[in-house]
Amino acid sequence: MTSDFSRRHFLLTSAAAGLVPFALGLPAARAAAGGTVTLRLGDDLSNLDPAYRVGTVEGNILRAVCQQLARFKPGSLDWEPDAAKTITQNSDTEIEFELNPGQMFHGGYGEMTAEDVKFSFERFTKPDKTGAMVPYADDFAALDHVEVTGTYTGKLILKNPAPAIWTIGICDASGTILSKKAFEALGDKVATQAIGTGPYLFKEWKAREHVILAANPDYKGADTAPFAELTLKPIVENRTALLALMAGEVALTETDVTAEDELAKAKANGIETLKIDGIDYTWIAINVQKGPLADLKVRQAIRLGIDVQSILEGAYGGKVGRANALLAPALLGYWADAPVYNRDPAAAKALLAEAGQTGISLTFTCLNDAISQATAQIVQANLAEIGITLTINAIDPGAYWAMGSGDASKDLDLTLIPYTSKFDPGFQTQWFVSAQVGVWNWQRWKNAEFDTLHKEAGSTLDKAVRQEKYVRMQQLLDESASCVWITHGAHLFGYAKTLKPVMLPDGTDWQLRDFAPA
Amino acid sequence: MSEALGIIWRRVLTGALTVVGAITLLFLLIRFVPGDLASILYGPRVTDALRASLAERMGTDQPLPVQLVLFLSHAVRGDFGINVISGRPILDEILGVLPNTLALAFSALGLSLLIGFPLGALAAVRPGSLADRILGVLSVVLITTPSFVVAILLLLVFSLALDWLPVAGAGTPGDPVDQLAHLILPTTALAVGWIGYLARLVRASLLEVLAEAHVRTLRAYGVPEWRVILIYALRPALIPVVAILGMALGDLIGGALFAELIFGRPGLGTLAYNAVVSRNFAVVQATTTVIVLVYVTANIAVDILSGLIDPRFRRTEGEAAR
Repeated sequence: MTSDFSRRHFLLTSAAAGLVPFALGLPAARAAAGGTVTLRLGDDLSNLDPAYRVGTVEGNILRAVCQQLARFKPGSLDWEPDAAKTITQNSDTEIEFELNPGQMFHGGYGEMTAEDVKFSFERFTKPDKTGAMVPYADDFAALDHVEVTGTYTGKLILKNPAPAIWTIGICDASGTILSKKAFEALGDKVATQAIGTGPYLFKEWKAREHVILAANPDYKGADTAPFAELTLKPIVENRTALLALMAGEVALTETDVTAEDELAKAKANGIETLKIDGIDYTWIAINVQKGPLADLKVRQAIRLGIDVQSILEGAYGGKVGRANALLAPALLGYWADAPVYNRDPAAAKALLAEAGQTGISLTFTCLNDAISQATAQIVQANLAEIGITLTINAIDPGAYWAMGSGDASKDLDLTLIPYTSKFDPGFQTQWFVSAQVGVWNWQRWKNAEFDTLHKEAGSTLDKAVRQEKYVRMQQLLDESASCVWITHGAHLFGYAKTLKPVMLPDGTDWQLRDFAPA
Repeated sequence: MSEALGIIWRRVLTGALTVVGAITLLFLLIRFVPGDLASILYGPRVTDALRASLAERMGTDQPLPVQLVLFLSHAVRGDFGINVISGRPILDEILGVLPNTLALAFSALGLSLLIGFPLGALAAVRPGSLADRILGVLSVVLITTPSFVVAILLLLVFSLALDWLPVAGAGTPGDPVDQLAHLILPTTALAVGWIGYLARLVRASLLEVLAEAHVRTLRAYGVPEWRVILIYALRPALIPVVAILGMALGDLIGGALFAELIFGRPGLGTLAYNAVVSRNFAVVQATTTVIVLVYVTANIAVDILSGLIDPRFRRTEGEAAR
């Protein structure tokens, strides 16, 4: 009696069935009117402690409930003071701030002071009670300490110049300012309760059912909460969420990029579409230390043998753009002139012949989701044409990410890797340095110049210099032929026309406090 | 009376052994699956120290036999430990979603019986009739139609086209009408297969009983047909149906996962599924323990019920005990 159900079956069937309401001109979205709004979360919350947050969901909520010294302006990577009245970079290694007075923490935990800033930031620089550094320690890796100079004033003293501390530390979820008093009083409960000073307060979290944020009546900032309540409803399946949007149960959902045409048809029913090009990166890593792959010509042949455009069409429905290098167009360091490798089986075969390699058999390791497996099959067919036999090893996330320890990556041949990004390019390049071999550098490619450039670019404030260095790093990666770039991805949202959603340019960071009635 | 108590006691003892055996097996199986929680949660951010810290907090740094003994000894006291991700007691997380899953499984079972039983009986009392043939085809269609297809069709018709019922969630806590509205579609989707199966089972069972000698004798004595069916045939025909109920409940609790995913319902299935995917061993152990407990308890209840209905069962059990 157990049905042979899989997500793939579900998606295929529902994709066809999902067209029905559009054809019939059925329901209109209606959730955004008035002072409350319900939004769909792709997953439930896990841990609201900024240092231990698991995904972007927690970060999005933390930024609505808590304040930061500075925050990203709506929809932009430019920043503006938030909890701070003023914040200035005095020197390469000193950032001075003065807090607005009278910013009260929810739940009666008192006024925000510079001591709270010190407590919130220095947690990232010291081992926790178990002796381990917090997962997001790198966000404040450059911070030496916070010097409190007054009730509302202080200085961030850095170990070295660190431009990334603005985008990854101060303005991101790691930079949310907690109440030291609340943290000490709540203990482990900080994982389930967010105490902040932001425009929304964390009213209720009923696990796997909903999260409710309510307008904070004590909020002192100019941008008071536009809604009386934000209800965030976890719905795991994208297709179900899309139906909930159509039925007016939620006013916004992210969905598969392949649903773009469906959403466009729903415009007449009051549903708008927002598509944001991603900054993440998916690529095929080639292990430069493994057998025939150690030969540069073999790697170049593989790069020429793979039809990236077919992957984008076949696995992503043609709805995402192509990546030609590590850094996405929205980021500092984008390499606009990166070479585009179009498929050329004849040239690939010639390279293999030059290398004296025939009858190569390799394993292609990937996650077991539908897109990854479709990609694997296309690559398998592509490489078969140039004489390379590929065995697909599609594994679940648990086994897949475990390869980041114990030097497990030494046995990989080709690996399809999807990584998420941050706004500072150094976050992306850090995984390609020599020290990451055996950990997350699954290409196992080492280059001293790359390592030096990564270090220099991460401690240089001059944007032009940084741009040059990051481009050079991508050139080195390109010369190694250790990566076949696929896409930076895209994020597709459907939302009720009565809602004005605001996202940062990566599409994953929602600025909930700026969501407003349209 | 003492014989009946003896049967119940033996059943409970066997059930307890089954629970311990199943938990031990599942405990070992999950440990052989590669992957660790820290790597899945934090990806490239994870460090060996963080990995070790999480392992220590979950107790997975201990030798396997120690972990198993600790888990069993705590579990019997209802202590499943703390979810290291959320910091919440795992028991609280389970109790928060268990009512949703039980409500879904029991309502699907109830609906299956409510519709499947009369349909099967109707087909059996008119064998070969048009109604029997239609019901025969219908039951096969119900059994063979995948539940997720039914789920999507139900959503399209009743949630989108007619706007009668909600798409996702379990309803507002404390609002039984809203919760009932959220239960109707997932219950129907989950029950469809079992409606067809029970209809066929009841039909076959009742036809067999109606062909027995004691029924022919009753008819020869001029006992009215309705009385023959309702009083003398239905009860013995119920025996195989009751016997299958425990299995049905287990299947429905397992099948609740798909309904929870498609209908965005919080439940034990999704809690267990997410825990398996993230290798959150403590939550996996706790949820599987609860599922095994529910399944075994349901089967014990069914066995006892079978004993009440069928005297042959009590006799066999009694002989086995001697």
